[in-house]
Amino acid sequence: MTAHANRRTRTAATFATAALILALPAVAQVDLGTEEQRAAGKVVYDKYCGQCHGDTGDGNGYATPRVRPKPRDFTTGKYKFRTTPNGMLPTDDDLRRIIEIGAPYTSMPGWPNLTSAEIQNVIYYIKTFSPDFENPDRYAEPIEIPRPLESTEESVARGRVLYEEQACGACHGEVGRGDGASAPTLVNDKGDPIRAADLTQRWTYRGGPTKEDIYRTFSTGLNGTPMPSYADSLEVEDRQHLVNYVYSLGDGDDPNYGTLITAVYSAEPIDLQDEETLDALFESAPMTRFPLVGQITEPGRNFFPPVTSIEAQAVYNRDEIAFRVRWHDLRADTSGRNNPSLEVPMWDEDNGIGGDAADDAGDSDDFFGDFGGEEAPAEDDFFGDSGDDFFGDGGDDFFGTADAGAGGAEFSDAVALQFPASLAPEETPELKPYFLYGDAQNPVDLWFVNLTYGVADTFRGRGSDSIEPTEADIVEAVTSYDQGAWTVTYKRRRSSRAGVSFAEEQYTPVAFSVWDGFNRERGNKRALSSWFYVYTEPSVEQAVAGPVLRAALIVLAIELLVVFLVRRRARQKAADEEASGATLTATEAPAV
Amino acid sequence: MWGLNLPIVLALAAIGGVLAWRRAHTLVWLLYTGGALWAFFRFGFTVPIPQSVATIYLGITGLALVSYASSSRERLAETVQPIQRLILEPRYRLALAGLLVALPGLAAYNAYADLTMPLEAPGFGREIHPPPPTELTVHDETIDMATAENPYLHYKHDDPELYGKHVENGRRVYYENCFWCHGDGMGGDGMFAHGLNPVPSNFNDVGTLPALQSSFVHWRIAKGGPGMPAGGTPWDSAMPAWEKFLTTEEMWDVNLFIYDFNGYEPRALGQH
Repeated sequence: MTAHANRRTRTAATFATAALILALPAVAQVDLGTEEQRAAGKVVYDKYCGQCHGDTGDGNGYATPRVRPKPRDFTTGKYKFRTTPNGMLPTDDDLRRIIEIGAPYTSMPGWPNLTSAEIQNVIYYIKTFSPDFENPDRYAEPIEIPRPLESTEESVARGRVLYEEQACGACHGEVGRGDGASAPTLVNDKGDPIRAADLTQRWTYRGGPTKEDIYRTFSTGLNGTPMPSYADSLEVEDRQHLVNYVYSLGDGDDPNYGTLITAVYSAEPIDLQDEETLDALFESAPMTRFPLVGQITEPGRNFFPPVTSIEAQAVYNRDEIAFRVRWHDLRADTSGRNNPSLEVPMWDEDNGIGGDAADDAGDSDDFFGDFGGEEAPAEDDFFGDSGDDFFGDGGDDFFGTADAGAGGAEFSDAVALQFPASLAPEETPELKPYFLYGDAQNPVDLWFVNLTYGVADTFRGRGSDSIEPTEADIVEAVTSYDQGAWTVTYKRRRSSRAGVSFAEEQYTPVAFSVWDGFNRERGNKRALSSWFYVYTEPSVEQAVAGPVLRAALIVLAIELLVVFLVRRRARQKAADEEASGATLTATEAPAV
Repeated sequence: MWGLNLPIVLALAAIGGVLAWRRAHTLVWLLYTGGALWAFFRFGFTVPIPQSVATIYLGITGLALVSYASSSRERLAETVQPIQRLILEPRYRLALAGLLVALPGLAAYNAYADLTMPLEAPGFGREIHPPPPTELTVHDETIDMATAENPYLHYKHDDPELYGKHVENGRRVYYENCFWCHGDGMGGDGMFAHGLNPVPSNFNDVGTLPALQSSFVHWRIAKGGPGMPAGGTPWDSAMPAWEKFLTTEEMWDVNLFIYDFNGYEPRALGQH
């Protein structure tokens, strides 16, 4: 459904609700359904909901340790997405909405296969988990959601002032990338870590991406989270201006995930140290966003990666090719260590963001055992290679960022581009190395940047348990962290001694990995992409007129030839007939 | 239904029906068949099929149409007769001139569209259910793929309570490990599915679980993507080799659970 149609439905629903409110007494009804309905709801719940929300509704299902945000605990009676005022119970329609469409980028899917009656029954059953639903005082009428104000320059400017006055940036970041100073400390009222929304990526908003959704969140707050309601502190109109400002921060309605980076040609030299010309160079290159998901195929599984997409672009000149990648991260973690082959002990798989990881570490014997045995820094290839970097420019970064961030993450942020070590043979163009660090027959090359040091290290991967540093090619990199966004620019010679060369008009497989140190990601615990491609666009622009004209002329020539041949044949036939007719006449003539 | 774009398919069929009713000329039929096939491959599927595949099919059907038209002298004469009349008869002169302009125009447009088409990553076909090996060794235990069955399936009738325990254990395994990709409701639409290529298997689909023996499913679970033959593009698959994470019993239990959840039975031995 388009956003427009969506809005229309919602408007219709608002009218319908308004009509209902007029018709009924203005007291919200306690409606717990019949015993049959609740029993029918239990059947649906046990099949579709209990695995996450727990068979007793306490939010402790089988999946719970491995999902973030955690599944709702229905026994608390606290619901995030409501049309009712802060602290109140949701309406049946609020519950229905989330069951129908889910919460994007969480483990709560929509359930389009359930019938309207089944959903209603499940709602009745969910209500049995909390006594609040029996208490009429906990009910309130839904708030009124006005039509959004036109998004004029003044409205957005006013919204921006409000954004600053209300200190929205403290959590959501100055430009909305979810990187506010207190973002790393956020927990819900059960003590589970949660993240401030990245306001620039509207498609990830848990409560929905429309202006009405945003207004609702401002006006009702998200119960049980640090997101307050502004119903008392901001007038309706101010909330609408704030909606327009937050909306203006968004990078489109849709992530528009792509499958291809188009590397564009430039005659200019590529100088990584010259920021201005480098930026200008990348201005001309199209940007593609790729989806990232957790690595959950091999040990070191990452069930809840915070980074869900990466943007990439590429430029090349006669000798060199440069890639630029960009992603959002709530904090620059540049004090720890990281490399693609760091081992991740099994206990760490279920382990989460920041603080509680340390708790788990404390009461786990495994931690110290594994740490000493498998992660001993002495065995770490990385430190051997990069000793210079560590004490050189790395040292400055260390102290610089430790001041800014909450600091002290054990593992640093990192990123890697992955290419096959060689292109597929012509007879099997579909052949690629295993997308998880390659395989024995088909290795991959990793251009890895540990953001503590900001330099590129190259690795050759022959599978997750065989990743070796290599120095066959020199890859350079520059990095920057600005208001919640990492940008890393790589450069290498187009031709390679040991790896893949980037010829013009060539499709080269590429895959991405991102490590968020704050989420304790390292080694195989990472966010990754499947294989995509980079296409090296021809340096000489293809003329369109020539081939178009040629196609038209060829068809025209064939047509004329056919017409000519058919006509000639017809003429010949006519001539033959005439001739035979004449002969006939001639032979007949003497007889007359 | 079956991945078809029904309005398009029905529209094409309707045109065919009208042509049959009006007893259309052979040439019209040939043009219709060619055009309809093109439209079917281009617009007839909800999931677009690779252009290279469509080109191959269209090439083959094009050749078939030509050989049909030229299969006998009479049919050939019948087919080309309207073309000859168009070219020869003075009253069609305007139509002929129009065609002479229109066809190169179409060719030019086609060339232009090809050149300005947004670039796409190359796509390759793959076998969805690649042929299984004859024997399977998991955790030092070898089974014969043709005759092996889920060892707990018979409890469904023999011991429903025990069956329920295995299913429940399978449910635990599924929601601790599988739903990120295959989805809560098993529609192949988990929260990570959008980032994977190939997309995870949809277990709701009647063409998947019921069409497979439980031994096949066991093979796919135990050996995952890396255990597939090349035809299944193992290098792209994110399916783990679950023998690394799960016991044999856990794998059979989750196998049991995904059938049970969807109300399906594995394909029986020897059933085709």
